[in-house]
Amino acid sequence: MIVIKGLSKSFGTKEVLRNINLEFSKGHIYGIVGENGAGKTTLFRCIAGLEDYSGEITADILPLKNHLGLLFSDPYFFEKITGKEYIQLLCNARKKEITDIESRNIFDLPLNEYAANYSTGMKKKLALTAIFLQENDYFILDEPFNGVDIQSNMVLTEIILKLKELNKIVLISSHIFSTLSDICDEIILLRNSQILKHVEKSAFKSLEDEMKAIVLGNRVEKLGLK
Amino acid sequence: MKHYFHLQFKIINRKIEEAGIIPVIGYILGVVGLILVTELLFYKTEFAKYIVVLGVVGLMSKFQTKDREDFLLATYGDVEKRKIRMVENLLISVPFMIVLLFKGCFLEAFILLVLSCVLAVATYKTNVNFVIPTPFTKHPYEFTVGFRNTFFVFPIAYTLTIIGVNVGNFNLVIFAMLLVFLISLGYHSAPEKEYYVWIFKDSPPTFLFKKLWAACRNIFILNFPILLMLLYFYSEEYRTIILLYLIGMLFLWTIILAKYSVYPNEMNIPEGILISLSVVFPPLLLFLIPYYFKKSVNNLKIRLHDRY
Repeated sequence: MIVIKGLSKSFGTKEVLRNINLEFSKGHIYGIVGENGAGKTTLFRCIAGLEDYSGEITADILPLKNHLGLLFSDPYFFEKITGKEYIQLLCNARKKEITDIESRNIFDLPLNEYAANYSTGMKKKLALTAIFLQENDYFILDEPFNGVDIQSNMVLTEIILKLKELNKIVLISSHIFSTLSDICDEIILLRNSQILKHVEKSAFKSLEDEMKAIVLGNRVEKLGLK
Repeated sequence: MKHYFHLQFKIINRKIEEAGIIPVIGYILGVVGLILVTELLFYKTEFAKYIVVLGVVGLMSKFQTKDREDFLLATYGDVEKRKIRMVENLLISVPFMIVLLFKGCFLEAFILLVLSCVLAVATYKTNVNFVIPTPFTKHPYEFTVGFRNTFFVFPIAYTLTIIGVNVGNFNLVIFAMLLVFLISLGYHSAPEKEYYVWIFKDSPPTFLFKKLWAACRNIFILNFPILLMLLYFYSEEYRTIILLYLIGMLFLWTIILAKYSVYPNEMNIPEGILISLSVVFPPLLLFLIPYYFKKSVNNLKIRLHDRY
């Protein structure tokens, strides 16, 4: 379990998160949605301990960060490190012995080539493979489906469902509502630094309609397309 | 192009200010530091001119990354990009060329001028299929990445060792060993992205000890052929060999610890001054290592969440 109480975060005078209270339970998948700049990534960074914050974040296994698989929306790779070495580095960091990297290469990545030369989708698949092989208890996946081909997205969806079955906690952000509504147990809508909505599966449809109404408004008409 | 260099000038000034120094004073300190370090280098070793040329080439190659080349090409076009690279390389190399000319090393100064121009027009090319093998695959990343970026130095160092042994020049073989140390110092000079510290499941002291041990093991692997030749052919000089090896090792540790003492920022003028002073007076390293170790432990507490 991860419990967030009264979490607030500001950058200078700009408040990015305001009094966030959340509870994430084992064996559940949570979707975090919101416009660009709504605070999704900052929330993830606070949970991971990459940002200072006011409030409290606790978990049943501490320190949380040592059991957390974190996927950034745009993972960074060293210039001259191969895919296999990257996985080795991440597993070494978490003291996980790994001898069968090749056989666990489920996305068929060219592991003996430099990761920096991979395509955007391949980089994401490599970063995902590495955090899955770390055997974490918690996962934060920031835009995991972006840039990944449709076949791999199907595989990734199945992996996330398997993590749920294994009693892990998974937090996912995505700009594509349908991908979240298919796999998530709960969806949290962030807007203007706050939680605007926190809904369970039965209310996903009404949340989507509500989001459409808020986001679209009369924007398309304002463009005056002819 | 003018705007580009104006912007670079602003960036440099900001970095100096971040170190708590007025830019003008920073530039004066830079010039004084350059004079002191090169004077010391020429005083201490007959290979100073080669070290200067190699060092400047290494510095210039830092500006020749694929991302920079792509950015300059996309923003300014091919002709302008080459001009910018040329001016950048000359700005880096001219102060060292002046030092070389002042020391009467005209050929080396000319070679440096030619290299500055050639490297400016050379285009960065990647070979997707060719991965340089390293002995560090099981323990990435500093030496893995560094070795691949500077792989050409090792055949040179090993060749110098063989030449040194054949002509009976002990100093040349020692130079080869120190060259390997010098190159590996660069592997730890830049801070890695925060994610690559955050991932570690270690307390700050354990994290640092692991980094120091890895450096110890990896530098030994790279220096092993040279050490073997030195101790076999110049066994009577074993005290000097071990002492110089240990000093090289201490410098490597100092760089690693200095990096994490200011992490995630880059090392700046204060670290530069202290490390330069330890070049002049190596026993200073014995104070710098515990100082930077303590500072790094405190600094990494936040990154590694060592609150339990």
